[in-house]
Formats: sequence, C-alpha cells, structure tokens
Amino acid sequence: MMRSSAWCARCGTATGNDQPGMEDGDAMITLENNRLAIRYPDVHPDARCTIDFQRTLRIPDDGTDYPLPPGLGRFPLRHLDDYAARLPQAWHRRGGVITPMHQAEAMWISFGGSDYPFAVKIATGKICAVTGDDWVNHLNGDPQDYLVLPEQPWLDGYCVEKGFIRQFVAMPLGEGYTAEEQLTGEAEHGGLQVVAYPMKRKRYERLMSPRFAMDFEAGPDVCSSPAPDMGLAPGGRMRQEIYDDPYGLDAWDQRHASRCFVSIANSTQWMAVTGERPPTLPPSAKEYSEAGLPWFEWYGGDAKAVAGAKKLASLASVAELGKAKGQDPLPENESTRVTGVRTIRRSGDTRVREFEP
Amino acid sequence: MTRFGAFVRDRREKLRRDDRRYSLRQVAARIGIEPAYLSKIERGDVAPPSEATTARLARELDVDRDMLLALGGKVSSDLKEIIRRRPRLFAELIRQLKEAPDDALLRVVREVRDGDW
Repeated sequence: MMRSSAWCARCGTATGNDQPGMEDGDAMITLENNRLAIRYPDVHPDARCTIDFQRTLRIPDDGTDYPLPPGLGRFPLRHLDDYAARLPQAWHRRGGVITPMHQAEAMWISFGGSDYPFAVKIATGKICAVTGDDWVNHLNGDPQDYLVLPEQPWLDGYCVEKGFIRQFVAMPLGEGYTAEEQLTGEAEHGGLQVVAYPMKRKRYERLMSPRFAMDFEAGPDVCSSPAPDMGLAPGGRMRQEIYDDPYGLDAWDQRHASRCFVSIANSTQWMAVTGERPPTLPPSAKEYSEAGLPWFEWYGGDAKAVAGAKKLASLASVAELGKAKGQDPLPENESTRVTGVRTIRRSGDTRVREFEP
Repeated sequence: MTRFGAFVRDRREKLRRDDRRYSLRQVAARIGIEPAYLSKIERGDVAPPSEATTARLARELDVDRDMLLALGGKVSSDLKEIIRRRPRLFAELIRQLKEAPDDALLRVVREVRDGDW
C-alpha cells in the first residue's frame, strides 16, 4: 500500500498516521477509470466523492459570454510514480497524477460520487480558482475559497465575476499566459491542485435526519465561525455560478483532507513518457455549433452565488494577452452563434453534459 | 429471465418511476440499439450484449460497468489485457485475494501518493 495522502490542514505537511493532531489517516484517494476517487471510511461510509477532468471545446475568447460547452470524455490520468524515471525530479517530488493536454486545449472539472457534502478547493499553479489568492492548506470562509459538493456539479474556469467564469485553457509555463504567472510573476508550479474535505460526521447525520432537513429547508444555516511544464490560463467567458456555502465553515472536517497535484504534460511529452497517444483535439466551438449540438446551462434553484474575485477579474485572457504580445496563441478562435442551450436543473441528471468517450 | 436481464429491467424501471426518459424506447435510442433488442435483453431472450453495449448501458443506468459486465458473464477487455501482460503475477494475486473481505481488499488498492508542493 502506498503512503496515505492524508496531510495536516494546519501546517500543510504530508503526514503519516503517526503525526500528532492528525486523525487516523484512512482517507483514500485512488484512481478509478481516469477519475480521482476520494473516500473517508473513517468519517462515514457515505463520505466519498469523485473528481474528473473533462475534455471540451474551447469557447471563443472574444469578449462574448457563452453557455457551458459539452464534456467530450475524461482526460487520461496516470500515477506519476509509474513514470518517475522519465520525468523531472521536481515533478516526482509533487507526487499525484499526470494528464496530457494540447496547447490551447480547454478542460472542465466534473464532481460526483454521492450526496455526502464535501468542500473542495481547486487551484491552478497554486492560485485559487475561486479567489485568486495563493494556495493555503485550509479553507477560508471570507472570501469563500472552495466549492461545495454536491451543490456544485462542475467547474469550468476562474471565477472572475459573480455568475461568470473564464475557461481553463492549457498554455506552456514561461510564456506569461497562465493565471499563476500573471498574478505572481513566476512560472513555478503549473498544473492543477485539488484538496477535498468531508462534512463532519455529526453534521451530516443531522442533515440526513428528516427533522433537520425540514429546518434546513426553512432557512439556510448561518456560518458559525469565521519546467517544460503546462499551466492553466484564463480563456473565454462563460456563464457559471460558484455557489455560496449553505452549511458554514464549521461544517467541514478539516482534520481530514485529501489532496492531489495534477501535473499537466503537453501531448509530445505525454507520448514520450507514457508511450500512449493523447486524446485527439476536440472540434472547434464553431464546428460544434454548426453541427447543431447542444450547449448547457445549470439552474441551481435558490442557491446563492459567490462574488467574483477582483484578482481573477484583473487577469488578461489568453487572446487579450496574445494581442498585446503580438502573438496568436489561440488557433480557431472565431466567434460562434450558439443555438440549442439545454438547461439542467439541480434535481436532474448532471451526466447529460458528458458524451460517451 | 437471466440475472443480467432482470437487473437491467429493474434498474431501468426504478429510474423511470422518477423520469420518463428511462422508457425502454428512450434508453435504447440513447445507447444506440433497437427497443426490441433491449426488450429481448431484459426478458433474457437473447444473450447479454457486447462489451461496448454493456458499457453504454451501465453508464446510462448509472451502475458500475465491471459489475454489469460480470452479470453478463464478461470481463472488461482492459482487465484481460492487464492479466495477459503479467499472467503469473496477476493470476496469483487474484487467487490469493479471492476470499479476502472487502476492507482487506480496499487496503491493497493503490492510493495516489501526495508529495511535497
């Protein structure tokens, strides 16, 4: 059995089970069919969630607000340790998994697994995708720097404004396009980082009891306490809300956390390292729309959205920055007219956005 | 009626109680087969379908693909390939673990290693 991925939320050090102040590290994060599967059998048998990274078309980076594009199957994920001999030492030190992306390819993140609530923080280049702040190893409530599952089924990009995001687009580190480089001036980390915290067991059991469910529906709870590497850059704008935490920061069991560094290899590196072909490039937004295929929007009911982050709103999109640099970093960036938007409601099936790989 | 057919029918009917899109006709259309063929599968009049069709059916019904393949007497081709590459090692591993309880099996599942970042 590999070393547990449990880590200390306060000091940020990866821990074994003998660390003081840390619960028995039976958190598990495994790879199942190109999906991160996170389980906390010690917290509750229901405490499990999944995270996968969906291939998608890149929406035009043209200043227009687009609906959500489809999922075209999962990006492959592999244990980084399996290819350690062919990867830089710095990558090996980070552990986690490795995935391939073409330059200027887009992705979105899909959450699933169960109805057990989780708080999940997503960063790119160690910059929080919700607040634009540097990575910290705990949850912040003000401003909220995490997503709440299962309320949030997807994340497509950086939260730049209330109800709007800029799509995650892969760009080589070192050229200045990534969110990390734009905000820190450094091209140090790249990749994508994930940490997931389960809801406290007692809180979940109260939530599941019928009496509490009625109380809960009557009004939401009030927060009771305060290298040759690829990174992700902000692309075109689309409509997507990041939902406010309806449970409050105190609901989350921050003694239990699973985190994972997702290193992104460009398609050439991926073939050299794994011997596998990366997935083919998705169609352009224009080709997709002209084929009459559907776009999507999510209706979250009464759920409130968090405000956008000023830091993220200040980022230049890849197209804007390319223009300023006199470069053309986005092939096939023609604007497209979107017809056929399907609205998916919270009680509906979130999988309809994903096509059969 | 086969176990495979009965399971598929029960699962689809359960989903259909809440969502009419799980009618025989609509499910068949979404997985790319004729409604009459899906009906025969559910009644057990024909053998369980191919691996690809079973995988689409599993996804459609939101059940585990390997479990549904096993109900149909099949093993996923990617698992076969894994065993074919290192047959002695994996055959021995599977035989040794065949009676192990689930929690013991979970302990040998490989975790994603978290490093220093």
